[in-house]
Amino acid sequence: MRRFIVNFLLIIFSFVLQTTVFRYIDFGGITPNLLLILTVSLGLMRGDKSGTLVGFFCGLLVDVFFGTYIGFYALIYMYIGFIIGKFHKIFFPQNIFLPMLFIVVSDFVFGFTCYILFFLFRTKFDIDYYMLHVIVPEMVYTTIVSIFFYPVILRLSTWLEDIEQRSAKKFV
Amino acid sequence: MSPIIKKGGEKFTLPSKYLLFILTFLCVALIMITFSTNIFTASLNSFFGTIIVPMQKGITSVGTWMTVAADKVQTVESLMAENEALKKQVDDLTTQNTNLEQDKYELTELQKLYELDSQYEGYEKVAARIIAKDAGNWYHSFVIDKGSDDGLTVDMNIIAGSGLVGRIIDLGPDWAKVQSIIADNSAVSGTVLASQDNLIVSGDLELYNNGVISFSKLIDDADKVNVGDKIVTSNISDKYLPGILIGYISTIEDDSNNLTKSGTLTTAVDFEHLSEVLVILQTKQQVENVTE
Repeated sequence: MRRFIVNFLLIIFSFVLQTTVFRYIDFGGITPNLLLILTVSLGLMRGDKSGTLVGFFCGLLVDVFFGTYIGFYALIYMYIGFIIGKFHKIFFPQNIFLPMLFIVVSDFVFGFTCYILFFLFRTKFDIDYYMLHVIVPEMVYTTIVSIFFYPVILRLSTWLEDIEQRSAKKFV
Repeated sequence: MSPIIKKGGEKFTLPSKYLLFILTFLCVALIMITFSTNIFTASLNSFFGTIIVPMQKGITSVGTWMTVAADKVQTVESLMAENEALKKQVDDLTTQNTNLEQDKYELTELQKLYELDSQYEGYEKVAARIIAKDAGNWYHSFVIDKGSDDGLTVDMNIIAGSGLVGRIIDLGPDWAKVQSIIADNSAVSGTVLASQDNLIVSGDLELYNNGVISFSKLIDDADKVNVGDKIVTSNISDKYLPGILIGYISTIEDDSNNLTKSGTLTTAVDFEHLSEVLVILQTKQQVENVTE
Protein backbone atom coordinates (compact mmCIF):
# COMPACT_ATOMS: atom_id res chain seq x y z
CA MET A 1 0.00 0.00 0.00
CA ARG A 2 2.82 2.34 0.97
CA ARG A 3 4.62 1.51 -2.25
CA PHE A 4 1.45 2.08 -4.24
CA ILE A 5 1.06 5.59 -2.82
CA VAL A 6 4.72 6.46 -3.39
CA ASN A 7 4.60 5.22 -6.99
CA PHE A 8 1.36 7.08 -7.62
CA LEU A 9 2.89 10.31 -6.30
CA LEU A 10 6.03 9.73 -8.39
CA ILE A 11 3.98 9.35 -11.58
CA ILE A 12 1.99 12.53 -10.91
CA PHE A 13 5.15 14.42 -9.91
CA SER A 14 6.94 13.41 -13.13
CA PHE A 15 3.96 14.23 -15.31
CA VAL A 16 3.49 17.68 -13.79
CA LEU A 17 7.22 18.42 -14.05
CA GLN A 18 7.36 17.25 -17.64
CA THR A 19 4.44 19.41 -18.76
CA THR A 20 5.31 22.58 -16.83
CA VAL A 21 8.85 23.10 -15.51
CA PHE A 22 10.68 21.31 -18.31
CA ARG A 23 8.65 23.27 -20.87
CA TYR A 24 10.39 26.39 -19.52
CA ILE A 25 13.88 24.90 -19.75
CA ASP A 26 13.54 23.04 -23.04
CA PHE A 27 16.27 22.96 -25.65
CA GLY A 28 14.93 23.83 -29.08
CA GLY A 29 11.41 22.85 -28.05
CA ILE A 30 12.45 19.39 -26.89
CA THR A 31 11.61 18.19 -23.39
CA PRO A 32 12.94 15.08 -21.65
CA ASN A 33 10.62 12.15 -21.19
CA LEU A 34 10.49 11.81 -17.39
CA LEU A 35 7.62 9.35 -17.50
CA LEU A 36 9.72 6.99 -19.59
CA ILE A 37 12.62 7.23 -17.12
CA LEU A 38 10.18 6.37 -14.34
CA THR A 39 8.70 3.42 -16.21
CA VAL A 40 12.11 1.98 -17.12
CA SER A 41 13.58 2.52 -13.63
CA LEU A 42 10.68 0.96 -11.76
CA GLY A 43 10.55 -1.89 -14.27
CA LEU A 44 14.24 -2.62 -13.62
CA MET A 45 13.94 -2.27 -9.84
CA ARG A 46 10.67 -4.10 -9.27
CA GLY A 47 10.10 -6.44 -12.17
CA ASP A 48 7.78 -6.78 -15.11
CA LYS A 49 4.51 -6.46 -13.23
CA SER A 50 5.39 -3.09 -11.71
CA GLY A 51 6.82 -1.94 -15.03
CA THR A 52 3.59 -2.86 -16.82
CA LEU A 53 1.35 -1.12 -14.30
CA VAL A 54 3.47 2.04 -13.99
CA GLY A 55 3.79 2.25 -17.79
CA PHE A 56 0.06 1.85 -18.17
CA PHE A 57 -0.77 4.68 -15.77
CA CYS A 58 1.92 7.00 -17.18
CA GLY A 59 0.57 6.45 -20.68
CA LEU A 60 -3.00 6.89 -19.54
CA LEU A 61 -2.18 10.30 -18.04
CA VAL A 62 -0.60 11.45 -21.31
CA ASP A 63 -3.55 10.09 -23.25
CA VAL A 64 -6.18 11.84 -21.17
CA PHE A 65 -4.45 15.21 -21.37
CA PHE A 66 -2.81 15.23 -24.78
CA GLY A 67 -3.83 12.17 -26.75
CA THR A 68 -6.46 12.07 -29.46
CA TYR A 69 -7.55 8.54 -28.59
CA ILE A 70 -7.22 7.14 -25.08
CA GLY A 71 -4.98 4.07 -25.00
CA PHE A 72 -2.25 4.74 -27.59
CA TYR A 73 0.45 6.01 -25.26
CA ALA A 74 -0.73 3.66 -22.51
CA LEU A 75 0.02 0.73 -24.84
CA ILE A 76 3.48 2.00 -25.80
CA TYR A 77 4.58 2.83 -22.25
CA MET A 78 3.13 -0.41 -20.93
CA TYR A 79 5.03 -2.64 -23.37
CA ILE A 80 8.28 -0.78 -22.67
CA GLY A 81 7.71 -1.29 -18.93
CA PHE A 82 6.95 -4.98 -19.41
CA ILE A 83 9.97 -5.72 -21.60
CA ILE A 84 12.39 -3.77 -19.36
CA GLY A 85 10.85 -5.51 -16.34
CA LYS A 86 11.96 -8.84 -17.79
CA PHE A 87 15.57 -7.75 -17.16
CA HIS A 88 14.88 -7.31 -13.45
CA LYS A 89 15.93 -10.91 -12.73
CA ILE A 90 19.20 -10.60 -14.67
CA PHE A 91 20.67 -7.27 -13.54
CA PHE A 92 21.24 -5.38 -10.32
CA PRO A 93 19.71 -1.90 -10.50
CA GLN A 94 22.40 -0.29 -8.28
CA ASN A 95 24.87 0.42 -11.06
CA ILE A 96 23.66 3.46 -13.00
CA PHE A 97 25.20 2.70 -16.41
CA LEU A 98 23.05 -0.24 -17.33
CA PRO A 99 19.77 1.52 -16.49
CA MET A 100 20.96 4.48 -18.55
CA LEU A 101 21.60 2.20 -21.48
CA PHE A 102 18.08 0.83 -21.10
CA ILE A 103 16.68 4.35 -20.95
CA VAL A 104 18.52 5.33 -24.16
CA VAL A 105 17.31 2.26 -26.00
CA SER A 106 13.73 2.50 -24.78
CA ASP A 107 13.47 6.22 -25.52
CA PHE A 108 14.66 5.51 -29.04
CA VAL A 109 12.09 2.74 -29.39
CA PHE A 110 9.44 5.07 -27.95
CA GLY A 111 10.29 7.86 -30.39
CA PHE A 112 10.45 5.51 -33.33
CA THR A 113 7.11 3.93 -32.48
CA CYS A 114 5.56 7.39 -32.19
CA TYR A 115 7.00 8.31 -35.58
CA ILE A 116 5.59 5.18 -37.21
CA LEU A 117 2.17 5.44 -35.59
CA PHE A 118 1.58 9.18 -35.89
CA PHE A 119 3.66 10.28 -38.88
CA LEU A 120 4.56 7.43 -41.20
CA PHE A 121 0.90 6.42 -41.40
CA ARG A 122 0.07 9.94 -42.55
CA THR A 123 2.64 9.62 -45.37
CA LYS A 124 5.33 11.79 -43.78
CA PHE A 125 8.40 9.93 -44.98
CA ASP A 126 11.19 12.32 -44.06
CA ILE A 127 12.64 10.09 -41.35
CA ASP A 128 16.07 11.79 -41.35
CA TYR A 129 14.51 15.04 -40.29
CA TYR A 130 12.39 13.59 -37.48
CA MET A 131 15.32 11.49 -36.33
CA LEU A 132 17.63 14.50 -36.09
CA HIS A 133 15.15 17.01 -34.71
CA VAL A 134 12.92 15.02 -32.39
CA ILE A 135 13.99 11.46 -31.60
CA VAL A 136 17.73 11.88 -31.01
CA PRO A 137 17.55 15.21 -29.11
CA GLU A 138 14.84 13.80 -26.86
CA MET A 139 16.98 10.71 -26.29
CA VAL A 140 20.05 12.74 -25.31
CA TYR A 141 18.13 15.12 -23.06
CA THR A 142 16.25 12.27 -21.38
CA THR A 143 19.52 10.44 -20.71
CA ILE A 144 21.12 13.51 -19.17
CA VAL A 145 18.11 14.09 -16.91
CA SER A 146 18.08 10.41 -15.94
CA ILE A 147 21.56 10.81 -14.39
CA PHE A 148 19.89 12.94 -11.73
CA PHE A 149 16.44 11.38 -11.67
CA TYR A 150 17.41 7.71 -11.51
CA PRO A 151 19.29 7.87 -8.14
CA VAL A 152 16.26 9.58 -6.57
CA ILE A 153 13.96 6.77 -7.70
CA LEU A 154 16.53 4.17 -6.62
CA ARG A 155 16.88 5.67 -3.15
CA LEU A 156 13.10 5.82 -2.72
CA SER A 157 12.80 2.21 -3.83
CA THR A 158 15.52 0.89 -1.50
CA TRP A 159 14.06 2.90 1.38
CA LEU A 160 10.69 1.25 0.78
CA GLU A 161 12.32 -2.17 0.57
CA ASP A 162 14.06 -1.59 3.91
CA ILE A 163 10.80 -0.72 5.58
CA GLU A 164 9.10 -3.75 4.09
CA GLN A 165 11.87 -6.08 5.22
CA ARG A 166 11.88 -4.64 8.72
CA SER A 167 8.14 -5.11 9.13
CA ALA A 168 8.45 -8.64 7.73
CA LYS A 169 11.15 -9.45 10.34
CA LYS A 170 9.01 -8.06 13.11
CA PHE A 171 6.20 -10.32 11.98
CA VAL A 172 8.37 -13.43 12.25
CA MET B 1 -7.93 -29.53 16.02
CA SER B 2 -6.86 -28.24 12.72
CA PRO B 3 -8.87 -25.35 11.27
CA ILE B 4 -10.92 -26.00 8.20
CA ILE B 5 -10.36 -22.71 6.45
CA LYS B 6 -6.75 -21.66 6.00
CA LYS B 7 -6.61 -18.23 7.53
CA GLY B 8 -5.49 -15.61 5.04
CA GLY B 9 -4.73 -18.36 2.58
CA GLU B 10 -2.21 -17.99 -0.17
CA LYS B 11 -2.06 -14.49 -1.49
CA PHE B 12 -3.73 -14.21 -4.86
CA THR B 13 -1.23 -13.16 -7.51
CA LEU B 14 -1.72 -12.58 -11.19
CA PRO B 15 1.16 -13.62 -13.47
CA SER B 16 2.57 -10.64 -15.31
CA LYS B 17 1.85 -11.96 -18.78
CA TYR B 18 -1.85 -12.22 -17.99
CA LEU B 19 -1.76 -8.72 -16.54
CA LEU B 20 -0.14 -7.50 -19.75
CA PHE B 21 -2.72 -9.34 -21.80
CA ILE B 22 -5.64 -7.89 -19.85
CA LEU B 23 -4.27 -4.35 -19.99
CA THR B 24 -3.50 -4.64 -23.71
CA PHE B 25 -7.06 -5.75 -24.29
CA LEU B 26 -8.27 -2.82 -22.18
CA CYS B 27 -6.15 -0.34 -24.16
CA VAL B 28 -7.32 -1.64 -27.52
CA ALA B 29 -10.92 -1.50 -26.31
CA LEU B 30 -10.40 2.07 -25.08
CA ILE B 31 -8.84 3.12 -28.40
CA MET B 32 -11.77 1.66 -30.30
CA ILE B 33 -14.34 3.20 -27.98
CA THR B 34 -12.78 6.66 -28.04
CA PHE B 35 -12.32 6.35 -31.81
CA SER B 36 -16.04 6.23 -32.40
CA THR B 37 -17.67 7.77 -29.32
CA ASN B 38 -16.69 9.96 -26.41
CA ILE B 39 -18.47 8.41 -23.46
CA PHE B 40 -15.37 8.06 -21.28
CA THR B 41 -13.83 11.43 -21.87
CA ALA B 42 -16.13 13.38 -19.54
CA SER B 43 -15.62 11.15 -16.50
CA LEU B 44 -11.88 10.54 -17.07
CA ASN B 45 -11.26 14.21 -17.78
CA SER B 46 -12.89 15.38 -14.58
CA PHE B 47 -11.22 12.62 -12.52
CA PHE B 48 -7.67 13.37 -13.66
CA GLY B 49 -8.37 17.08 -13.91
CA THR B 50 -9.13 17.42 -10.22
CA ILE B 51 -5.79 15.84 -9.29
CA ILE B 52 -3.41 17.26 -11.88
CA VAL B 53 -4.70 20.66 -12.92
CA PRO B 54 -4.31 22.43 -9.52
CA MET B 55 -0.65 21.35 -9.44
CA GLN B 56 -0.01 22.51 -12.98
CA LYS B 57 -1.66 25.84 -12.18
CA GLY B 58 0.52 26.30 -9.12
CA ILE B 59 3.78 25.42 -10.82
CA THR B 60 3.00 27.55 -13.85
CA SER B 61 2.24 30.60 -11.71
CA VAL B 62 5.52 30.08 -9.82
CA GLY B 63 7.33 29.78 -13.17
CA THR B 64 5.75 32.98 -14.46
CA TRP B 65 6.65 34.75 -11.23
CA MET B 66 10.27 33.65 -11.60
CA THR B 67 10.44 34.86 -15.19
CA VAL B 68 9.06 38.23 -14.13
CA ALA B 69 11.56 38.41 -11.26
CA ALA B 70 14.42 37.64 -13.63
CA ASP B 71 13.26 40.37 -15.99
CA LYS B 72 13.31 42.89 -13.15
CA VAL B 73 17.05 42.44 -12.74
CA GLN B 74 17.63 44.27 -16.02
CA THR B 75 19.94 47.25 -15.61
CA VAL B 76 18.31 50.55 -14.73
CA GLU B 77 20.36 52.38 -17.33
CA SER B 78 18.97 50.47 -20.26
CA LEU B 79 15.51 51.13 -18.89
CA MET B 80 16.16 54.84 -18.66
CA ALA B 81 17.43 55.00 -22.22
CA GLU B 82 14.40 53.05 -23.28
CA ASN B 83 12.19 55.44 -21.37
CA GLU B 84 13.59 58.43 -23.29
CA ALA B 85 13.00 56.71 -26.59
CA LEU B 86 9.53 55.66 -25.59
CA LYS B 87 8.56 59.18 -24.54
CA LYS B 88 9.55 60.41 -27.95
CA GLN B 89 7.54 57.62 -29.48
CA VAL B 90 4.50 58.52 -27.38
CA ASP B 91 4.50 62.02 -28.86
CA ASP B 92 4.73 60.65 -32.37
CA LEU B 93 2.02 58.14 -31.70
CA THR B 94 -0.35 60.68 -30.20
CA THR B 95 -0.28 62.73 -33.37
CA GLN B 96 -0.59 59.58 -35.41
CA ASN B 97 -3.46 58.45 -33.23
CA THR B 98 -5.49 61.60 -33.78
CA ASN B 99 -5.08 61.12 -37.51
CA LEU B 100 -6.15 57.52 -37.22
CA GLU B 101 -9.08 58.48 -35.04
CA GLN B 102 -10.28 60.67 -37.86
CA ASP B 103 -9.76 57.88 -40.35
CA LYS B 104 -11.64 55.48 -38.13
CA TYR B 105 -14.57 57.87 -37.86
CA GLU B 106 -14.71 58.04 -41.62
CA LEU B 107 -14.41 54.28 -41.84
CA THR B 108 -17.29 53.63 -39.44
CA GLU B 109 -19.41 56.07 -41.34
CA LEU B 110 -18.61 54.30 -44.57
CA GLN B 111 -19.16 50.91 -42.99
CA LYS B 112 -22.56 52.02 -41.80
CA LEU B 113 -23.23 53.06 -45.31
CA TYR B 114 -22.41 49.61 -46.62
CA GLU B 115 -23.92 47.92 -43.54
CA LEU B 116 -20.70 46.10 -42.90
CA ASP B 117 -19.55 45.22 -39.47
CA SER B 118 -16.18 44.05 -38.35
CA GLN B 119 -17.16 40.67 -37.04
CA TYR B 120 -14.80 39.26 -34.54
CA GLU B 121 -14.44 42.31 -32.41
CA GLY B 122 -18.07 41.85 -31.44
CA TYR B 123 -17.63 38.33 -30.10
CA GLU B 124 -17.62 37.82 -26.38
CA LYS B 125 -14.20 36.64 -25.21
CA VAL B 126 -12.67 35.34 -22.01
CA ALA B 127 -8.98 35.28 -21.10
CA ALA B 128 -7.26 32.05 -20.06
CA ARG B 129 -3.75 31.07 -19.06
CA ILE B 130 -1.76 28.21 -20.54
CA ILE B 131 -0.84 25.85 -17.70
CA ALA B 132 0.75 22.88 -19.47
CA LYS B 133 2.14 21.94 -22.85
CA ASP B 134 2.22 18.62 -24.65
CA ALA B 135 4.16 15.88 -22.83
CA GLY B 136 5.69 14.60 -26.04
CA ASN B 137 7.68 16.44 -28.65
CA TRP B 138 5.55 15.59 -31.66
CA TYR B 139 2.46 17.78 -31.46
CA HIS B 140 1.79 21.31 -30.26
CA SER B 141 -1.25 21.05 -28.04
CA PHE B 142 -1.63 22.65 -24.65
CA VAL B 143 -3.93 22.91 -21.63
CA ILE B 144 -5.59 26.13 -20.44
CA ASP B 145 -7.00 26.86 -16.98
CA LYS B 146 -10.66 27.43 -17.94
CA GLY B 147 -13.17 24.67 -18.59
CA SER B 148 -16.83 23.78 -18.82
CA ASP B 149 -17.49 25.52 -15.47
CA ASP B 150 -16.58 28.81 -17.15
CA GLY B 151 -18.98 28.17 -20.00
CA LEU B 152 -16.51 26.77 -22.50
CA THR B 153 -17.45 24.05 -24.97
CA VAL B 154 -15.63 21.94 -27.54
CA ASP B 155 -14.83 23.72 -30.86
CA MET B 156 -14.58 27.20 -29.38
CA ASN B 157 -11.89 29.22 -31.14
CA ILE B 158 -8.77 30.42 -29.35
CA ILE B 159 -7.03 33.66 -30.36
CA ALA B 160 -4.05 35.55 -28.98
CA GLY B 161 -3.40 39.17 -29.82
CA SER B 162 -5.11 39.38 -33.18
CA GLY B 163 -4.27 35.98 -34.62
CA LEU B 164 -5.76 32.52 -34.53
CA VAL B 165 -4.18 30.02 -32.12
CA GLY B 166 -6.43 26.98 -32.42
CA ARG B 167 -9.59 25.46 -31.05
CA ILE B 168 -10.71 23.48 -28.03
CA ILE B 169 -10.86 19.76 -28.72
CA ASP B 170 -11.52 18.38 -25.25
CA LEU B 171 -12.38 19.75 -21.85
CA GLY B 172 -12.90 19.02 -18.17
CA PRO B 173 -14.55 21.09 -15.40
CA ASP B 174 -11.66 23.56 -15.02
CA TRP B 175 -9.32 22.83 -17.92
CA ALA B 176 -9.48 22.54 -21.69
CA LYS B 177 -7.20 20.96 -24.26
CA VAL B 178 -6.37 23.20 -27.21
CA GLN B 179 -5.14 21.96 -30.55
CA SER B 180 -3.03 24.69 -32.11
CA ILE B 181 -3.00 25.40 -35.85
CA ILE B 182 0.74 24.62 -36.00
CA ALA B 183 0.19 21.04 -34.76
CA ASP B 184 1.14 18.51 -37.39
CA ASN B 185 -2.33 16.94 -37.34
CA SER B 186 -4.34 20.13 -37.75
CA ALA B 187 -5.80 21.76 -40.84
CA VAL B 188 -7.75 25.01 -41.19
CA SER B 189 -9.73 26.28 -44.15
CA GLY B 190 -8.55 29.79 -44.96
CA THR B 191 -9.10 32.63 -47.41
CA VAL B 192 -6.66 35.08 -48.95
CA LEU B 193 -8.10 38.40 -47.85
CA ALA B 194 -7.14 40.35 -50.96
CA SER B 195 -8.48 37.99 -53.60
CA GLN B 196 -10.97 35.85 -51.60
CA ASP B 197 -9.37 32.63 -52.84
CA ASN B 198 -9.76 29.64 -50.55
CA LEU B 199 -6.91 27.43 -49.37
CA ILE B 200 -6.07 24.88 -46.70
CA VAL B 201 -3.63 25.82 -43.93
CA SER B 202 -2.02 22.81 -42.27
CA GLY B 203 0.48 22.62 -39.45
CA ASP B 204 3.80 20.93 -40.09
CA LEU B 205 6.37 19.91 -37.49
CA GLU B 206 9.16 19.96 -40.06
CA LEU B 207 8.40 23.46 -41.35
CA TYR B 208 7.55 24.93 -37.98
CA ASN B 209 11.12 24.70 -36.77
CA ASN B 210 11.86 27.23 -39.52
CA GLY B 211 9.08 29.47 -38.20
CA VAL B 212 6.47 28.83 -40.89
CA ILE B 213 3.55 26.47 -41.58
CA SER B 214 2.28 25.27 -44.92
CA PHE B 215 -0.76 25.95 -47.06
CA SER B 216 -2.04 24.08 -50.08
CA LYS B 217 -4.89 23.75 -52.60
CA LEU B 218 -4.89 27.44 -53.49
CA ILE B 219 -6.66 27.99 -56.79
CA ASP B 220 -5.35 31.22 -58.23
CA ASP B 221 -5.54 31.25 -62.03
CA ALA B 222 -5.18 35.00 -62.31
CA ASP B 223 -1.93 35.10 -60.28
CA LYS B 224 -3.42 37.70 -57.99
CA VAL B 225 -2.04 36.26 -54.75
CA ASN B 226 1.32 37.67 -53.69
CA VAL B 227 3.86 37.11 -50.96
CA GLY B 228 2.81 39.08 -47.87
CA ASP B 229 -0.93 38.74 -48.43
CA LYS B 230 -3.08 38.21 -45.35
CA ILE B 231 -4.74 34.85 -44.79
CA VAL B 232 -7.87 34.75 -42.64
CA THR B 233 -10.22 31.92 -41.69
CA SER B 234 -12.76 31.25 -44.40
CA ASN B 235 -16.54 31.27 -44.44
CA ILE B 236 -16.78 27.59 -45.36
CA SER B 237 -14.94 26.26 -42.30
CA ASP B 238 -17.32 24.44 -39.97
CA LYS B 239 -15.20 24.90 -36.82
CA TYR B 240 -13.60 28.32 -37.16
CA LEU B 241 -15.38 31.65 -37.16
CA PRO B 242 -14.81 33.63 -40.37
CA GLY B 243 -12.39 36.52 -40.67
CA ILE B 244 -9.85 35.65 -37.97
CA LEU B 245 -6.29 36.44 -39.03
CA ILE B 246 -4.10 33.35 -39.46
CA GLY B 247 -0.91 34.81 -40.93
CA TYR B 248 0.92 36.17 -43.94
CA ILE B 249 2.07 34.30 -47.05
CA SER B 250 5.84 33.94 -47.18
CA THR B 251 6.38 31.72 -50.22
CA ILE B 252 4.17 30.49 -53.08
CA GLU B 253 4.91 27.65 -55.47
CA ASP B 254 2.99 26.09 -58.33
CA ASP B 255 1.95 22.51 -57.71
CA SER B 256 2.98 19.85 -60.20
CA ASN B 257 -0.63 19.56 -61.40
CA ASN B 258 -0.51 23.21 -62.58
CA LEU B 259 -3.98 23.81 -61.19
CA THR B 260 -3.33 24.62 -57.57
CA LYS B 261 -0.63 26.40 -55.62
CA SER B 262 0.94 25.72 -52.29
CA GLY B 263 3.54 27.32 -50.08
CA THR B 264 4.29 28.52 -46.62
CA LEU B 265 2.94 31.24 -44.33
CA THR B 266 4.17 33.01 -41.22
CA THR B 267 1.66 32.86 -38.39
CA ALA B 268 0.37 36.08 -36.83
CA VAL B 269 0.82 34.60 -33.36
CA ASP B 270 4.21 33.92 -31.76
CA PHE B 271 3.65 30.36 -30.56
CA GLU B 272 7.01 30.10 -28.80
CA HIS B 273 6.17 32.75 -26.21
CA LEU B 274 2.49 32.15 -25.74
CA SER B 275 1.31 32.34 -22.13
CA GLU B 276 -2.15 33.88 -22.20
CA VAL B 277 -4.88 33.40 -24.78
CA LEU B 278 -8.45 34.56 -25.42
CA VAL B 279 -11.31 32.12 -25.87
CA ILE B 280 -14.16 33.27 -28.11
CA LEU B 281 -17.32 32.23 -26.30
CA GLN B 282 -19.17 31.43 -29.47
CA THR B 283 -18.88 28.49 -31.78
CA LYS B 284 -19.53 28.61 -35.49
CA GLN B 285 -22.72 26.60 -35.06
CA GLN B 286 -24.16 29.11 -32.60
CA VAL B 287 -23.38 32.07 -34.82
CA GLU B 288 -25.05 30.40 -37.76
CA ASN B 289 -28.15 29.66 -35.70
CA VAL B 290 -28.45 33.28 -34.65
CA THR B 291 -28.15 34.63 -38.16
CA GLU B 292 -30.65 32.20 -39.63
